[in-house]
Amino acid sequence: MSTVTAETRVFPTFEQVCQGFAGQITQLREMAPEPTLSDSVRVRRAIDTLIAETNADEAVWLESCIRCGQCTNACHYFQATGDSKYAPMRKMNLYRKVYQREIGPFRWWYKLVTSEVKLKDLEDLQELVYDSCSECGRCAMVCPMGIDTASLVHHQRSALVAAELVPPELNALRMEQKHRGTVFGASEDVLRKMIDTIREKAGVDIPLDKPHAEVMVLSSAVDLVGNGNGLLATAKVMNHLGVDWTVCSDGFESANFGLLSGDMSLWKHQVDPIVAAAERIGAKTLVIAECGHAYPALRWNPMLKSGELPFEMIYMSEFMGRHAKAGRLRLSPLKGKVTFHDPCKTGRRGGAFDEPRAVLNAMGSDLVEMPANKEFNWCCGGGAGIFLLERATYLRDESFKIKMQQVNSSGADTVVVSCASCRLNFEAGRQKNNWDKRVESLVELVADHLIDEKKVGSVTPIQGAAA
Amino acid sequence: MATATTLGELLRSQGISRRAFLKFCSATASMMAIPAGMVPAMAEALEQAKRQSVIWMSFQECTGCTEALLRSHAPSIESLMFDFISLDYHHTLQAASGEAAERAREEAMHANAGDYLLLVDGSIPTIKACSTIAGISNLDMLLETASGASAILAIGTCAAYGGLPKAAPNPTQAMSVEELITDKPIVNIPGCPPLPLAITGVIAHYLTMGALPELDHLGRPLSFFGENIHDRCYRRPFYDRGLFAETFDDEGARKGWCLYKLGCKAPETYNACAHVKWNQGVSFPIQSGHGCIGCSEPNFWDKGGIYDSVPMGQFGTGPKIGVAATVGVAVGAGAAVLARGKKHKSEAELHSDD
Amino acid sequence: MTLLDFARGPAIHWSLIILITGTIWRLLGVLVLTRGADLSRPRDAFGNFKGYRTVFSRAWPSGEFTTATRYQTAMAYVFHIATLVVVIGIVPHIEFITSLTGASWPGLPNAAGVAVGIIALASLLALIIRRVSKPAIYCSTWGDYFAWIVIAMPLVTGLMAFAHLGPRYETMLAIHILSVALLFAWFPFGKLMHAFWFVFSRAQSGVAYAHKGVRI
Repeated sequence: MSTVTAETRVFPTFEQVCQGFAGQITQLREMAPEPTLSDSVRVRRAIDTLIAETNADEAVWLESCIRCGQCTNACHYFQATGDSKYAPMRKMNLYRKVYQREIGPFRWWYKLVTSEVKLKDLEDLQELVYDSCSECGRCAMVCPMGIDTASLVHHQRSALVAAELVPPELNALRMEQKHRGTVFGASEDVLRKMIDTIREKAGVDIPLDKPHAEVMVLSSAVDLVGNGNGLLATAKVMNHLGVDWTVCSDGFESANFGLLSGDMSLWKHQVDPIVAAAERIGAKTLVIAECGHAYPALRWNPMLKSGELPFEMIYMSEFMGRHAKAGRLRLSPLKGKVTFHDPCKTGRRGGAFDEPRAVLNAMGSDLVEMPANKEFNWCCGGGAGIFLLERATYLRDESFKIKMQQVNSSGADTVVVSCASCRLNFEAGRQKNNWDKRVESLVELVADHLIDEKKVGSVTPIQGAAA
Repeated sequence: MATATTLGELLRSQGISRRAFLKFCSATASMMAIPAGMVPAMAEALEQAKRQSVIWMSFQECTGCTEALLRSHAPSIESLMFDFISLDYHHTLQAASGEAAERAREEAMHANAGDYLLLVDGSIPTIKACSTIAGISNLDMLLETASGASAILAIGTCAAYGGLPKAAPNPTQAMSVEELITDKPIVNIPGCPPLPLAITGVIAHYLTMGALPELDHLGRPLSFFGENIHDRCYRRPFYDRGLFAETFDDEGARKGWCLYKLGCKAPETYNACAHVKWNQGVSFPIQSGHGCIGCSEPNFWDKGGIYDSVPMGQFGTGPKIGVAATVGVAVGAGAAVLARGKKHKSEAELHSDD
Repeated sequence: MTLLDFARGPAIHWSLIILITGTIWRLLGVLVLTRGADLSRPRDAFGNFKGYRTVFSRAWPSGEFTTATRYQTAMAYVFHIATLVVVIGIVPHIEFITSLTGASWPGLPNAAGVAVGIIALASLLALIIRRVSKPAIYCSTWGDYFAWIVIAMPLVTGLMAFAHLGPRYETMLAIHILSVALLFAWFPFGKLMHAFWFVFSRAQSGVAYAHKGVRI
């Protein structure tokens, strides 16, 4: 390939990372806490949560469904299984029932003619809003009423958080992040060790806790405990661009299990230190690591007045795309046909379509699109925490076949993704199906193709720790 | 009154040819839906028919029904046939007056008890003082006279359905014959006035067949009231093509287009006007440029304006709809405001849980 | 009071009152609820207000979904347009609307009205056949079938009244008007309200996605 192929790998391949994760996920189920509240309290809290989260927007969406069935064309879980219970419109039925009984305009009537919501109903809901909905929003693209089912599903996840009905894997991680502030044990110490390892083994310097920096970069648990290549690649790109950047030890984690599980208070709680750190160091740009849901967790956090913040929040692919457009990323050519998989959270529900493509174009790559792309991209099937759920394996595997078929018909031999969750799911699917495609991370691909003059001149002398 | 004893004799004495008589029989037979093969037998029976005793009572009426029957331009077989019956009591036509007149009625009732035909025009006020004849209230006279009748013909819409006197607010508490008499066969021959042929046709049918004709659900002879005027109207093609007179003096009116939009009630009116017509087939209301007012239908006077078209809503507009909208605004906004309160309460409750 | 008098009088009157009260009740009962605020910084490239385009753009499914939605979209369009033409195009209906509002316009010839009415009914049948034959896709509730019946009744009875099928014309007309009264009275309570919701629902999603710089 290009200039850096000779370098020995510091970290295991992503294939190995992926296999390692599978083992860790198994342990999560055992760590999940048991419900502590009485059934009636759990139901009440779920209902109260839905009431509290229902504004006119949600009410209109709940009122609007005419059961025309068109959303079934858009949902990968329905298309993969043909099972009517996974039809997107069904995923709002319980929410609608609560809405109609509690705050709808005819609630007095619905209280008379509909039955009370029971814990069993909520338990049944778990599969619909966690296992079989990645909140990818593709159904909103076809709905003639324009109902945003994904956001309705998200409110129901919040209700299930209140009812202590989060699936065990997600719940374990949520609890870990809530009480210990780490994900998969990725603590501040783990970050320091990783930075040291990268400096020692790869000779790439990562500025940690600079008092002032233009760019604050986040990492993610997947990179810190498994795929060190991710952080390494990020560092290479940042250093190549010569930006004034840092990683903050008090706000480095992109992953947000508050958003994933539906725990709004954890969502906010996890975001606050990152914002505080960015403000403290006077950052102008906060770069969010390749972790799909971290993008909405920060960039589109509805609780955060981000318009008033002194910095902007952008995704790794956006950051690289801007520099690529400005001609600052100098990259060696990428051979073969590639296609780009837009993560739901940064694509259809994030709006970052052009930037990753600009990066690939900067590599002079033969970029081809899948039949359904950008706003219409099919979800990989593992988003919104579903990759972690063992119970959802069948749904994930079946729906991934749609994705494979999409990639196959694009003619590409490499799929580039820009989301750790997508990447894990692609990698798992690739291994299961012995798929002959390559799955690449955008940032790692860029790092591998950097043309670095400085490096060409001084490959061996490692730069000092001081930045 | 004529002196001939059979209808045949009477007609011959009046110079009516047998050909003209057979023509009448054919016309009547076809109107009454009697098979053509029956026409000679019908003619025979009619020729031989004996004078039928008839008592004609007029209550709250305008004499229009009698006029329609009698004031034809030239004497017709219909009117002659009317001459043929033994009209023993008809206070507009009879020469006798006062006690003599009433005595004629009583004699006829007595002599032909159970056998005479009772013809009624006009509605009957149930507030007795509103209309009396010879000191007897209409109601009492009807009940008394009806008791010995073989059948009753309610002539005109007033007798058949109450008509104008019964229209709101019905100050005399008028009622129709069939509302008051339930134990006698009654034929309603409504219309304001009814077609003369319908009256004589029913009598002819009774004389020849010895029975009353088949009736619709409103007690009208199907032979005259079985068809919708709209379906028989010569202006129907204009309706189908969507060509309507919008006013009584526009181009459409001059060209004879459909009068539906001007309130013509033909689509909901059952009568033979459009094909039998009036004044020896000269014309009928729609032909003369005015929509049907539905006069042969019950309560036609109270079914909204004469110039309101058939599909128009028949209810007051504005205020109630406005009130409905206001109630909607109040209840809807109120429900939402209460829901807001409930939402804030739920938020507080969840907050206190955490 | 005959059936027609009842239908043309109190029945249609009360159904209109229910229609108006119920529709405003349900609309305001939803729209006056609290408004959620998205405080995040909108993407600059694509102004928020442009999200309102979704109200119109969603009138036809995007190319991506053409094959899957063709039948239903086409039938739904035929049904909605044909029904609209029948409702506002034939003279008796115009007369009814005139009696309510005073507004008036020329009508269609009867043959055209009947043809369009039959088209509307045929498309409605095409839709229900699909709904019944693909239960997994439609997840129908009783409300879906009831709404279908409530919509189909006026079409069926209207055509029957015109063709003089069944009972006498004035009875059939009365049944037709009563079926419309049922439609009016049911309208605010079932899914027929999508006639209003679609504007708000599409606009909301359009604006929410436009906030993130995505055209939907």
